[in-house]
Amino acid sequence: MTQLPFSQLNNPVSSLKYHGWNSQPVTIKAFVLYLLCLPLSVQSHAFELFDSVQVHGFASQAMFLTSGNNMFGPSISSPGFDFTELGINGSWLPWPNLRLSMQILSRRDGAWSNGSPVIDFGLMDYSYNFTSDYRLGVRAGRVRQPYGLYNDTRDVAFTRPSILLPQSIYYEGTRDFTISADGLLVYGEMRKPWGNLNLELFGGYARTDNKETQYSFIQQTYYGTLASDPGFVGRLSYETYDGSLRLALSGAYTSMRYKPNALGDNLPRGNIGFDPILISAQYNTEKWTFSSEYSYNFSNSDFGTSYNTSTNGESYYFQSAYRFAPKWELMGRYEAYYTNTDDESGKAFYQNYGLPAYTQFAKIWTLGLRYDITPWMMVRAEYDYTNGTALLTPQSTLNPKTGNPDYFNTVQYWNTFGFLVSFRF
Amino acid sequence: MSASIKQKKTRQFKCFRGRYSAICICCLALLFSNYTAQAEEVFVTIKKGTQTTTPISRYVLSAIFGMRLTTWPDGSAIRVFVLADDNRVHTLFCKQVLQIFPHQLRTAWDRLVYSGTGQAPEVLSSEQELRIRIAKTPGAIGYLTKENLDDTVAVLPVE
Repeated sequence: MTQLPFSQLNNPVSSLKYHGWNSQPVTIKAFVLYLLCLPLSVQSHAFELFDSVQVHGFASQAMFLTSGNNMFGPSISSPGFDFTELGINGSWLPWPNLRLSMQILSRRDGAWSNGSPVIDFGLMDYSYNFTSDYRLGVRAGRVRQPYGLYNDTRDVAFTRPSILLPQSIYYEGTRDFTISADGLLVYGEMRKPWGNLNLELFGGYARTDNKETQYSFIQQTYYGTLASDPGFVGRLSYETYDGSLRLALSGAYTSMRYKPNALGDNLPRGNIGFDPILISAQYNTEKWTFSSEYSYNFSNSDFGTSYNTSTNGESYYFQSAYRFAPKWELMGRYEAYYTNTDDESGKAFYQNYGLPAYTQFAKIWTLGLRYDITPWMMVRAEYDYTNGTALLTPQSTLNPKTGNPDYFNTVQYWNTFGFLVSFRF
Repeated sequence: MSASIKQKKTRQFKCFRGRYSAICICCLALLFSNYTAQAEEVFVTIKKGTQTTTPISRYVLSAIFGMRLTTWPDGSAIRVFVLADDNRVHTLFCKQVLQIFPHQLRTAWDRLVYSGTGQAPEVLSSEQELRIRIAKTPGAIGYLTKENLDDTVAVLPVE
């Protein structure tokens, strides 16, 4: 038992502080586990048990000051603070090939979220290395959907290129729908001197039981429920072994069913399908990171005769980050999103429905500055200039306090100034 | 007469000794500078006697330090130990041996840790601690500069 540092055992909190960031595997050497292991005379067993447990976490708070449209909460006349992320995760390797992980997340992003904790992911991961070049594995439970460059860690501000992820691809309105899902994920990895090739395939049920998803797909809140049919998400990615070049092709096939409220509903039973394809590329040097992603999506809804649509949307961004000094990073990005590729300007939408054309697209310029005060504390300031409101989230627009009570009562050209502070360990 | 010759010889010897010392100092300085240059070299280090010491490919090594390859060929767990991201030796190891920028490695670890798909390596505070943990831990791998190597650990050659 000599391997166990007792000072850390006795005070896990101080060990958290001491280890700080560096994802120092804050090995939570829980005293209970230690006691459980005392009867085990095999030293290596106990050692293995303690050292194979890691706990990490993060906390972020953002401030938004906007012109024209509100962001998450009231943010026009005075700064809004309605965006908070708190997460803690643990993982345990009981055997070299088996890992158990779980993350609990508390999140506030406007009127609909009260920050109550949810299981963000909770999974069992078994993998096998056939040789050092090939690995096959399976994850079961609530797993992260393999999608694009950033979806895997989208709630961790330290891993994001900006305060929020580029909304053209990682729209906050469909966050719950895209982040994690319940099912089975099979993955394979091939490592060669020319790079790593990864294939991840997921099958299961998306998280559609939330207002944001319902609103994002049906454009209104109804009284019924939106349930997910089995869906599939996959990603094929290539990465040079040093990570300088990353390429990925992701795709999803999702299907949802709307079940009207038995007490009366003005929307009948119906189906919604959403199938995006995403191409991602990133190039890294010591000081620069260039990233770009392009998505084309097919969406359709079938509600009998009353409400049928079939549109193809398109979105992309170009982004570069420059680490001009140690701890500092400057970021610039242009992104565009079009709800309907046949009506990018929204003119037809205006003619057909009499609603503003600018609700059908969004073009955003972003300039941001990041400063890592310490490796575990980061601040970021950002300015966005936006043309169009297609990416204004329902969390923002349907907040009764915000002053955008109507999705269409918004401003076409608007500015956002954002500030974020984030911690992690 | 004989005394004066003796004195002269002593003076000559002293003179020679002075020159000799100067050469010695020069050699030492040269040795020392050579030594410090070598001290900048970082070696992949593993627990002695437990693992193979046949050369390892750089891409396999980067999979190990990237925490994607988690078992040795015999199926036992690999335990990765590193120094902090801004540590000089860590930076040297990343650039010299792995040929990866430290921020790239950090990004890779973050992706594993915060998506539930892997673990991060254990970060230690000094090379001494690194050597002790590598020597003690079954399946351990890390890195050390030449001056911190000793016979408690083994060097894994990189091809």
